[in-house]
Amino acid sequence: MNDSVFKVGYLPGLAAQDVSWIPLPGPNSHSTIKVEVPQLSAAQMLAIADQVKRSSSLHLKTMTVSEIIRVIDKAVARLLDLNDHHRQKLEALLPSVTGFDSEMIRLGLTNYLLSFRAPQLHRFVTEDFANPKLIDEFQPRAKNGWSKAIGADLGIHIWAGNVPALPLWSMVCALLVKSGFIGKVSSGEPVFASVFAALLVEIEPRWRDCFAVVWWKGGNSELEAATFERAELVLAYGGNAALAQIRSRIPPHTRFLGYGHKISFGIVTASALGTRKGKACSELAALDIARWDQQGCYSPQVFYVQTGGAVTPRIFAEQLFTELASLEHTLHRRALSFEEAASLATYRQAHEFEMLNGSKRVVFGEKHDAWCVVYSDEALPLLPGPLNRCILVVAVDSIDELIALIKPQSRYLQTAGVAASPEELLPLAECLGAVGVTRICALGAMTSPQAGWHHDGRFSLLDLVRMVDVEYSAESLAESFTRYEL
Amino acid sequence: MAIADGDTERLTAEILAFIEKSMTSDEEFNNLALRIFAHQFAYNPAFQRFCQMRAKTPRTVKRWQDIPAVPINGFKDLTLSCVPVADCTRVFMTSGTTRGDIKGRHFHPNLTVYDASMKKHFQACFMKSQKSVRMGIIFPNETMMPNSSLAHYLALAVKNFGTTQSAYYLDDTGIKIDSLIAALQEAQDSGQAFALLGASYSFVHLFDELEKRQLKFKLPLGSRILDTGGFKGQSREIEMNDFYEQLAQTFGLARSQCINMYGMTELSTQFYDAGNEEVPSVKRGPHWMRSRLVDPVSGEEVAFGDRGILAHTDLANFNSTVTILTEDVGTATQDGFLLLGRAQGVEAKGCSMVVDEFLRSASA
Repeated sequence: MNDSVFKVGYLPGLAAQDVSWIPLPGPNSHSTIKVEVPQLSAAQMLAIADQVKRSSSLHLKTMTVSEIIRVIDKAVARLLDLNDHHRQKLEALLPSVTGFDSEMIRLGLTNYLLSFRAPQLHRFVTEDFANPKLIDEFQPRAKNGWSKAIGADLGIHIWAGNVPALPLWSMVCALLVKSGFIGKVSSGEPVFASVFAALLVEIEPRWRDCFAVVWWKGGNSELEAATFERAELVLAYGGNAALAQIRSRIPPHTRFLGYGHKISFGIVTASALGTRKGKACSELAALDIARWDQQGCYSPQVFYVQTGGAVTPRIFAEQLFTELASLEHTLHRRALSFEEAASLATYRQAHEFEMLNGSKRVVFGEKHDAWCVVYSDEALPLLPGPLNRCILVVAVDSIDELIALIKPQSRYLQTAGVAASPEELLPLAECLGAVGVTRICALGAMTSPQAGWHHDGRFSLLDLVRMVDVEYSAESLAESFTRYEL
Repeated sequence: MAIADGDTERLTAEILAFIEKSMTSDEEFNNLALRIFAHQFAYNPAFQRFCQMRAKTPRTVKRWQDIPAVPINGFKDLTLSCVPVADCTRVFMTSGTTRGDIKGRHFHPNLTVYDASMKKHFQACFMKSQKSVRMGIIFPNETMMPNSSLAHYLALAVKNFGTTQSAYYLDDTGIKIDSLIAALQEAQDSGQAFALLGASYSFVHLFDELEKRQLKFKLPLGSRILDTGGFKGQSREIEMNDFYEQLAQTFGLARSQCINMYGMTELSTQFYDAGNEEVPSVKRGPHWMRSRLVDPVSGEEVAFGDRGILAHTDLANFNSTVTILTEDVGTATQDGFLLLGRAQGVEAKGCSMVVDEFLRSASA
């Protein structure tokens, strides 16, 4: 890599000089390193698509899942090594391109990569395939016949850039089911996927043409239509408007998997609010808020805190404010854009007006703070805030009350970070699941989904394959055509 | 505190005198601004609580720049009036595009100051040396929209500066296209100057109608156009440059004769540019209005030339709040500011949901 210019992408079969490069567009005001993205012609894109299809069937589909896991594990081990040059490249580029604090990137990356080591990957596969050999070869079915899972010959993955390294999930999923893929990076975080693709090929040279990492300007209808036409499936992360636009270009025979807007929240029940335990809960809650500056769909936007504990919801809010203040010393919030700052200021103002109108609302801290805690005694429904460490703490008396407050967002619910007693946990999960929550995790773990989680309630691997069944009738009929007499 | 007898009258008399002056000093502006601030602090409990929250009182505020700027959302959430609202003869309301059905309310005990402010600045920026002109208004009249400050503004324009031939060309069925075409044709044939005034989006509808009929005009010398409001939240948005180009070509005017008025329900005074040969054009207020560009978080003025949120100190806002904080983004110029659009908040990146985006999808 030329030190001053980072070229985005992994383009099999194309030399850098055959491609036209433009500076990364968009509001990347943080970036101090020059980043360039490839502008591919439709012909180049189609050539890549055909190459990926061909090579993945030759070199990826012929490996066993265990062999594939070994390659990924080696790559992840390299990235976990702080002295590895790929890791160093990520640590140099990501803060500059995304604006996130370098310490946040360093800790976040390591914590995230832990979920992609061999043992975790094996569990990941088992999560969706009780018998992982289904991906390797036809397996006998309990009730006669045989089945095999075949990964898409070509999947197009459209990635979001709100949190660094997000594409790793879908890259790994595709590899585990032996699917060739073309991933489109977002302008917000085009780095990780580019680096990871090159690293994989360094470890397993046969994968040289099995996948690609590209960029195009979203909404390039001609390019999208041509590319989608070649794909067996299109998987996209993004806002609902973007997803609707992508969906409109997908031909009928191509499958579409969309991961749209989501909203997450935290719950602390009275049983977790003992004199000393309450403080510990506010520490965990603060971590969930500070990590990635609330940019993930799994990041909490509201905390519902039950009344009746030794620590009242109002005191919890105060403690949370203190915790966020001290976290700012170790994990700095990234610099906000003008628009983000304006949105945060407007949010504060709106709650201040409520305070002036006599609502039982408290806005903690000063307008200059790099975090914001608002407390409400009044049961407020779950609504998205301006992110960037801005949290609303709402007092609730009961779980029923809480459920009523989140229900209007049913279609958007994702993670609930929970601190509750063992007796409460599963009944609470029943209620949350019924209204649409798809992930319930510990307070403090909201930003680190477990390997093999069901992202937005879906199957990470099963959704990427087509099953092939050999029915018993075929097997039985075959019996009549043996070379030998039965 | 109940407002003392004659206090409002004394204050408005001072403001009217200030507006009428041709030259005013910084000190005079400062003194009157602080006087209005003290009045509002004393008589408007909601504003007083707001100032206390900001730790600003007439005792500590010595410069007009330090008067707390009330965000325009305050006109929705608080009752910002010194005179009891029941005693206010007129209330102007915002159209309520951003927060659904919650409308901002601006209470006016009377419209004496509002009207004086409008007339003086309108004469200077739109009429210039002319006393009257034939006007065509493409906006509803005051009877149809009694709570619209723009409807009142345009009514004032017609009443004070329009010839007897002036007329409204919009009713509840839409643009009265045939009579408007007839009026434009008549103006073109007679050589008598014509002024067309209305909301920006009304002009877009007018373009469509005229295009259907393949009609263009060459309005006589002295004719001009005033548009206001922009296109936010309208069914069809159009680039500002294309808009003025089309305006100029459709009516046969120079773009310098196409003037944009920037006004707000929350203010009692308007801004104008000196035509739109280039966009964005510099907007200017009169001597009883001063604007600053502030940082959204700190509220401090940004460095000259940097983007900031517009805060206006309007001495004609005697009953509500003398300084307001808008949601508009701009940059300062030597004698005014460039309007760059609304502080829209951020597009949600990826799959996380941000409040503004949610509001947009909720209102869609």
